[in-house]
Amino acid sequence: MAPSIRACLAPVFITSIFANLIHAATVTYDFNITWVQANPDTAFERKVIGINGQWPIPTITVNLGDRLVINVNNQIDQDTSLHFHGLFQKGTTHMDGPDGVTQCPIIPGSSFTYNFTVDQPGTYWYHSHSKGQYPDGLRGPFIVLDPENPFVDQFDEELVLTFSDWYHDQMPKLLADFMSVTNPTGAEPVPNSALMNDTQNLTIPVQPGKTYMFRMINMGAFAAQYVWFEGHTMRIVEVDGVYTEPTEADMIYMTAAQRYSVLVTTKNDTSANFAIVGSMDQDLFDAIPEGLNPNVTSYLLYNESKELPTPAFVDEFDPFDDMTLAPEDGLDLFDNVDYSFNLDLKMDNLGDGANYAFFNDITYVHTKVPTLFTALSSGKDAENVAIYGSNTNSFVLNKNDIVEIVLNNNDPGKHPFHLHGHNFQLVVRSEDEAGAYGNNATGLPRKPMRRDTVLVRPNGHIVLRFKADNPGIWLFHCHIEWHVASGLIATMIEAPRELQETLHVPEDHYAACRAAGVPTEGNAAGNTVDFLDLTGENKSPDLLPAGFTAKGIVALVFSVLAAFLGMAVIAWYGAAPITSGELAASQRRVEESSVVEK
Amino acid sequence: MVNVFAVPVFFICFRECLETAIIVSILLAFLKQTLGPDRDPIVYKKLVRQVWYGVLAGVFIVAVVVAGMIGAFYGMGRNTFGNTENIWEGVFGLIACIIITLMGAALLRVAKLQDKWRVKLARALATKDEPKASSGGYLKRLMEKYAMFWLPFITVLREGLEAAVFIGGVGLAFPANAFPLPVVCGVLAGVLVGWLIYRGASFGSMQIFLIISTCFLYLVAAGLFSKAVGNFEADKWNRAIGGDAAETGSGPGSYDIRQSVWHVNCCNPELNGGGGWGVFNSLFGWTNSATYGTVISYNLYWLVVIVAFVTMRYRETTGRWPLLRTKNRDEVHRDSESNSTHSEQAKKDIGEKTSANVREIRD
Repeated sequence: MAPSIRACLAPVFITSIFANLIHAATVTYDFNITWVQANPDTAFERKVIGINGQWPIPTITVNLGDRLVINVNNQIDQDTSLHFHGLFQKGTTHMDGPDGVTQCPIIPGSSFTYNFTVDQPGTYWYHSHSKGQYPDGLRGPFIVLDPENPFVDQFDEELVLTFSDWYHDQMPKLLADFMSVTNPTGAEPVPNSALMNDTQNLTIPVQPGKTYMFRMINMGAFAAQYVWFEGHTMRIVEVDGVYTEPTEADMIYMTAAQRYSVLVTTKNDTSANFAIVGSMDQDLFDAIPEGLNPNVTSYLLYNESKELPTPAFVDEFDPFDDMTLAPEDGLDLFDNVDYSFNLDLKMDNLGDGANYAFFNDITYVHTKVPTLFTALSSGKDAENVAIYGSNTNSFVLNKNDIVEIVLNNNDPGKHPFHLHGHNFQLVVRSEDEAGAYGNNATGLPRKPMRRDTVLVRPNGHIVLRFKADNPGIWLFHCHIEWHVASGLIATMIEAPRELQETLHVPEDHYAACRAAGVPTEGNAAGNTVDFLDLTGENKSPDLLPAGFTAKGIVALVFSVLAAFLGMAVIAWYGAAPITSGELAASQRRVEESSVVEK
Repeated sequence: MVNVFAVPVFFICFRECLETAIIVSILLAFLKQTLGPDRDPIVYKKLVRQVWYGVLAGVFIVAVVVAGMIGAFYGMGRNTFGNTENIWEGVFGLIACIIITLMGAALLRVAKLQDKWRVKLARALATKDEPKASSGGYLKRLMEKYAMFWLPFITVLREGLEAAVFIGGVGLAFPANAFPLPVVCGVLAGVLVGWLIYRGASFGSMQIFLIISTCFLYLVAAGLFSKAVGNFEADKWNRAIGGDAAETGSGPGSYDIRQSVWHVNCCNPELNGGGGWGVFNSLFGWTNSATYGTVISYNLYWLVVIVAFVTMRYRETTGRWPLLRTKNRDEVHRDSESNSTHSEQAKKDIGEKTSANVREIRD
């Protein structure tokens, strides 16, 4: 069944009505978060989280420089929040969205307002940042139109093309199964299907001989997707909100949360239609369920009277390497690093038997006081990293320092890392199995690519640099939603003293905290008197006991004693002389058998 | 070295063979000491043959099943036994444990009899014809008559299948020509230990040999009982995590933390043949990952054994079961001997003969 073209493309075609607006405006959205029934892969109807009774949720479209006001009213039975992925939120770190970090949850039945200025162009997306919630549907495109777009003359029309994996089960259940003693290997739930624009087999009418800009977004929970347009070459002009030198690519590997804008010029004849294919990277899946179709197809529809092609089988994926891109603005490599630190990633089990993810042997656990409020309420102690808790992987950054993150992936999986509040330069990325970074890389790119979400390869490493010019609390985490749940998160505390002086958090935020019963003062443990006293803070489960514990020793001693006692009794019995009764019994047996014989 | 000698395969063969060799050699030594070729050669031969028939029958069935497994693996491309491995290992372990336990006590009791009576008893058991008794008695007699057959048979069956599965597990890592040598060496090493036990039994008193070897049998049986419980638990855990926990080696995830009493990430008796830990496991039931179930069952087993032997001794000396009121002795006998087909007259005869025996001992 082909979905209705009109219904699916209505929010996708963005005409130039906004382009005339040169002066900054205020764009207001009223978002009621509601449950909606949906069946996007025509295989299973389920409850999804929609907005204003609609799903897919609306695309947020603003012009560069606009003020955006979103009035959220939570009408579902779960806490929620909204994060605007890729936006720097300069001066508005409290609008970034992560529940428990820069704000309190929007509890069921309550309201919350996001209000900030958008001063960066490009392709973004927005999603819930509460407890692995967005894969249940609360994620949508966020487009910032730019009249000054350097490529504005090179395309005729722009379209949004979202990619996503899709689960038939609800996230709360999947998360419970995932973070469980019965999932000791930490095998991530495998999606049931893949979607494009939250549907499948979408047809996109195109005109011959024109150029289209596709704003492609992977809004998935887990799966990266290989993306290609059959019979067409893509010209990459933007990644994650950063304009790039136009670069040709036949196939793109787009991790969860990455975005690419590509120019595609259509053919001059309309004799055939062409497939657009998204193919989930099955390397990520622990076991591939029978009957899983990892692919999703859409079509460039040149001619309605022609049939839709079946995509050709691809033997080997050979995607474009985003390290080779160059930013259009030509920003040089930050070569004087002020602060460099390592994040060593590993996966392991803790004492509750579940599988956790670690940076430097610490798995992230939410604090009692959202980190932003700890920074704001701690006075001079704000620069002491200890107050932010021992399970948050916090790093305090000085204003305008050049910060370098060296991430060593000691795990055989691929991970897409995302930094809030910034984009970063991709300085080094190793191949698979390269091991830890040896600090000896030569030939660093002079004008490295910048983006906000980057792939690190299995057992490889990446080196990222950014300038700490945005005071705020910014998470750095893997954008596989399962790994957010298992704690693969670090916290950047950027210029907290300046934050205390400049940031004004609106009353609305405090109201949300009061409603949720979350304190807004104190250290990670909620201690407002002694910020260095973290007694009672939230901690991860203990490590698995290594070897023998007291109960193990007791059990072993008892077992050995039981065996020796048992053998002593056997020896005693065996050595005891025979009694007359025994003899009689034996004799009787002999007699008895002879009776039978006779 | 690895190309012609797969070390894990050696250890697997050695440990599985060792357990069989211990049981077979103890049985053979027992027969030699109690009956001996010089006392009743016919019965002796018959019982020795039973032991070997048990071994051969076990080997034969293992060969057939393993051939079937290999066929299924290559024919249908799947490991047919993999899913149920823990279940059948547990069941076999439990059966072997029960047989060893019963036979151990029987051997010990028989050993106390004088030569003459042992020979008579053995002859009576070995020559007993198809009984016309009730079905319960029939089964018991079948077990008694072929007692020397069942233990080696079930032991070989269990060890053989276990070896096949273990070798299958590690086997893919090695080339085909790395197998014959370690298999032969492992089996020879096991047989050597068995032969030493058999020879060792010729020295010294038979009673001491039997006490020591019975202790050994009970150690093995206690380990088997605990291991069987462990197998059933492992099966449940495998089902809970939806896969083979052994894939995770001996580290986290290979066991259910909620049930764990101790766990060391080493010394796994099953991983890669287990090495010395595998031998340790075969003899004493060692495990690197003990659960409440395995620890309690191990201790419970010994408790039952202790209570049983004390009770037996109590009854032998007092003629009644502990905690029961004194009964008529005939009734007591009827309770203990389930086949109560003999007539009152026969009982009286025995009563007379008993006193005769007591005198005989005093001579």
